[in-house]
Amino acid sequence: MAKIGVFICHCGENIAAKVDCTKLAAALGEHPGVAVSVEYKYFCSDPGQESVKKAIRDNNLSGIVIAACSPRMHEATFRKACAEAGLNPYLCEIANIREQCSWVHTDGDMATAKAMDIVRSMVEKVKRNNKLQSIEVPVTRRALVIGGGIAGLQAALDIANAGQEVVLVEREPSLGGHMAQLSETFPTLDCSQCIMTPRMVETAQHPKIRLLTYAEVESVDGYIGNFKVKIRMKSRYVDMNTCTGCGDCMTKCPAKKISSEFDCGLGKRTAIYTPFAQSVPNIPVIDKASCIYFKNGKCKMCQKSCQLNSINFEMQDEFIDLEIGAIVVATGFQVQNTAVYGEYGYGKFPDVITGLQFERLASASGPTAGKILRPSDGKEPENVVFIQCAGSRDPSKGVRYCSKICCMYTAKHAMLYAHKVHGGKTHIFYMDIRAAGKGYDEFTRRAIEEDEASYVRGRVSKVWQENGKLMVRGVDTLLGKPVTVAADMVVLATAMVSQPNAKEFAKTIGIAYDEYGFYNEAHLKLRPVESSTAGVFLAGACQSPKDIPDSVAQASASASKVLALFSKEKLEREPVIAVNNEATCAGCWGCVLACPYNAIEKKDIRDRSGRLIKQVAYVNPGLCQGCGTCVTFCRSNSLDLAGFTEKQIFAEVMGL
Amino acid sequence: MITQEKYRTTVKELLASGSVKMVIGYKPGSTPDRRRPLFIRTSEEADQLVLDSTCMTNLSGYLVTEGLLSDEKRVGIFLRPEGIRSINILAAEYQLNIEQIVILGFDSTGRDVRPLEGRNAGDFSGLLSEIKEKPVQTSKEPLLERIEKMNAQERFDFWQEEFSRCIKCYACRQACPMCYCRRCIVDSNQPQWINTSSHTLGNFEWNIVRAFHLSGRCVQCGNCDRACPVNIPLRLINQRMATEVLDGFDHFAGLSPTQEPVLASFKKDDTETFIL
Repeated sequence: MAKIGVFICHCGENIAAKVDCTKLAAALGEHPGVAVSVEYKYFCSDPGQESVKKAIRDNNLSGIVIAACSPRMHEATFRKACAEAGLNPYLCEIANIREQCSWVHTDGDMATAKAMDIVRSMVEKVKRNNKLQSIEVPVTRRALVIGGGIAGLQAALDIANAGQEVVLVEREPSLGGHMAQLSETFPTLDCSQCIMTPRMVETAQHPKIRLLTYAEVESVDGYIGNFKVKIRMKSRYVDMNTCTGCGDCMTKCPAKKISSEFDCGLGKRTAIYTPFAQSVPNIPVIDKASCIYFKNGKCKMCQKSCQLNSINFEMQDEFIDLEIGAIVVATGFQVQNTAVYGEYGYGKFPDVITGLQFERLASASGPTAGKILRPSDGKEPENVVFIQCAGSRDPSKGVRYCSKICCMYTAKHAMLYAHKVHGGKTHIFYMDIRAAGKGYDEFTRRAIEEDEASYVRGRVSKVWQENGKLMVRGVDTLLGKPVTVAADMVVLATAMVSQPNAKEFAKTIGIAYDEYGFYNEAHLKLRPVESSTAGVFLAGACQSPKDIPDSVAQASASASKVLALFSKEKLEREPVIAVNNEATCAGCWGCVLACPYNAIEKKDIRDRSGRLIKQVAYVNPGLCQGCGTCVTFCRSNSLDLAGFTEKQIFAEVMGL
Repeated sequence: MITQEKYRTTVKELLASGSVKMVIGYKPGSTPDRRRPLFIRTSEEADQLVLDSTCMTNLSGYLVTEGLLSDEKRVGIFLRPEGIRSINILAAEYQLNIEQIVILGFDSTGRDVRPLEGRNAGDFSGLLSEIKEKPVQTSKEPLLERIEKMNAQERFDFWQEEFSRCIKCYACRQACPMCYCRRCIVDSNQPQWINTSSHTLGNFEWNIVRAFHLSGRCVQCGNCDRACPVNIPLRLINQRMATEVLDGFDHFAGLSPTQEPVLASFKKDDTETFIL
C-alpha cells in the first residue's frame, strides 16, 4: 500500500505568488495513496529538510514527491534527505511547479490547476518507483593528458605532483606547443622560453609522467574511470633509446631548405630535425615527406653520420594500448589563415605577417635571433602597422568571436618593437581595446604612454605596395577621416581558431564541440572545465581562445577535477540505466547501433549443455549513461530504463 | 508454365544434391486465384509446385520460424524482388544468415512469370538498385495520390474511417515478414500502451505504431494489405513512410544484407531536411 508524502514548497514568492499552495496541498491530500500533504516556505532550507525527514519517519512513507523547483536544482538535496531518513533515495521524485508552472503562467487559478496535474502525475510515478542502488565502478588511477602545450604541461605536472600517474601525449616531435614559439609574454615581458623550457624538462624527467611525443590518440573507448585508449606512436625513424641528441645528423642532412613550421615559415629546417634547439625530448625525427631517401631511395647521410647507429629507415608506426581513468584534453588552437582577407595582402606581400610570425622575429631563438627584420629584404622596418581583429569579431569573413589575446599581444608587439628599434614608428588600427585582466590595462597604457604606440580607432580597408612601401589605407573613426600610412611591415592580429581536425578529434574522444570546433564545457559558468562526457576535462585554448594565465588556471582546475576523481577507489554512479528483458529480446541489434555510448553488447544464451540458444542484448551498467535512446528504438519494448520505466512513465501520463 | 516447369526441375536438383534441406514455394489454394505456401522436402512434393502471376505472397517470413535455420543447413525459397529485399533486411537485423538462403527469384508482368538470374542475395544487388532508381508502379497509386492531395483534416478523417473497420486481429502483423519479435508491443500489458479494444483510439495507436516500426523496413510486398480481412489499404501508410525515409535519408530498405537500419544509424551526410 502506497504511503506517499507530498511536500509543496512556496519557494518564497517564486511559486506561492502564482500557485495557491494551500489549495494544492489540500487537493493532493485527497489523492489516493497520499498519506501526508503539506506546504512550507522553503523545503530546501535546513528546517524544511528536517520536516521532510520527520514526516518520512513518523508516517513510514513509501515515497515522496517534492513539488518545487527543477530537479536540476535540488533533486540531489532531497534524495540525500530521503537517505538520511532511511528511505531509498530513488523513492523521491521532484514535481517541477516553478520553472514549468509558476514562472511561466500569469493566471493564478490556471497555474494552480496545472500544478495539481504536475504533482498528481509525479505521485502516480513515485508509487511505481523501485528502490535502486547506486552503481559502483572501479577507477583506474592514471590520467591521459592530450597536448603538450602550456595547458597540457600544467595539468600533467599538477596531477603527477599529487602522486598520480600521467601519460602525456603530444603529436609534435617536441613538447612546447604555441607558448614555446612566443618571444616575451604579457603583461610582465618575461621570456616565454625561459619560463616554458624548465616546465618541459620537469615534465620529461618526472617519475610519474610517461611522455609520448610524436604520438596521436587513435581511439578512445570505455567510460569515466575506465577508458581504453589506443595511441599511435608515429615512426620517428630515430631510436629514442640510443639517440643522444648530438645533432650530427641534422648538420649533415642535405635537405636544408624546408620551411620551418616552428618559425611559421620564416626560417628553414632540415629533413631530419628537432623543431627548435630546446626541444624536449631533444631527439630528432625524419620528416618523411621531405627526406631525400624516402623520395629517391638514395642519401642516408644522417645514418652515415650517426655514430650510435640510431637511425632506422625501416621503423614502423607502433600502437600502445592504455588503461586510463580520466582524460584532460589540451589540444590547443591554430591561427586563422589570413589569406582569406585579400585586402590585407597576406600571402601576397612578404612583409605582411601574422602576430605569431612577429613573435618568431622578436624571439631570441628565432630566425633573426631576436632582431626585428622584415622578411622581404632583411631590413629593419622603420614604420610598422598593426591591424587588430584581422579575422576576429567579423561575422562576414572571419569568426564571430573575440580572440581575446590580440589586444594584449599587439600592445606587447608595439612595445617590443619600440624596445628593439629605437625611433621606430607604430600605428595600431583597433576596434576596441580589451585589456581586462590583472595588470593588463596598465600594460596597454604603458604601450601608449611610454612606448609611444599610436592607436588609430578604425578598420583597414586595403593594403597595397607602392615605392617599396606597404600603403595601409584605413579610417580614423574618432577623427572621422580616412588615413593612409606608409609602412615597412604590417602585422595582422590573426584570429585564434580551433585545430583543423578539432571536430574529428572530438568525435574520437566523444565530446561535444561548438560551431567553431572549440570544445564545449558541461556548463559555461558552473562546470567550465568538464566536457560533456564524464571523466573528460578541458584545458586551454581547445575550449575557447585563452591567454597563458587562463590556460594555466584551467589546466590546474582540470587537474584538481582529475585528482578528485582519483581520490576514491570506486566511483558511484546514478543507477539510471537501461535493462534488457532477455526473454523478449529479438536480437535485432538496433539498440547496439543506436547506443551513443557503445554500452550494449551481445550476450549468448546457452542451455545446460552449453549449446547456444540465442543471442540477446546486454546493457553494460558501467557504460550506460541512461539516455534512453535504446528504449525508444526497441520495437518489442524489451529495453526499459531504471528510474524511468515504461510503467512509471505510463502512470505519469495517465495521472495527468 | 515454362518457368514453373524449369523451377520444378531446379527444386528437385537442389534437393537431390543435398544443397538445400527444404524449398519454400507455392501450391494451389482454395480458389483458382489463391496460392498457399508449400514446404518442399522431397522430389514428389516438388511436383505440387505452382509458379504463376498469382503467387503474390512474400514467403520470407517463414524463414524466421524458430529453429528452421538453427541447424545451419540451407533453405531454398521462391521470392519476388520485394521478397529478396525482405531477406536482406532480416539478415541486416541478424534474424537469419544470408549464406543459408538459396533464392529462386521470379517476377511477373500481367500473367507472364519470368525467372530472375541468381541464387545468392548478392546476385540481385544490381536489380534492387535499378528498382530503387525506377520504382515499379503499383495498382493502388491513384488512391495514394488522392490521399496525398487531401489536407490534414481530410486525411485524418479518411484514416479514421478506414481504421474504424479494424478488428485488431493482427493479421497484418502475422503476415508481415518484418514482424518477427518474440513479443509484440501489443502483447505487453505492463503497461498497456496500445488499447486492445477496437475503438478509434486503440485502432489509431496500433496502426500508427505499426507504421513507425516499419519505417525504413517495409518493402511494399503487400502481405499486410492482402491479409487484412476488412480491406484497410495498409500498404499505403508504409509506402508513404518508405518515401519519407528515401527522401530524408536516401535509404531504400533491403538494398543489401549489410545495410544499417535507418533509424538506428547515423550518417554525417544525412540531409536532415526535417530539422528546421
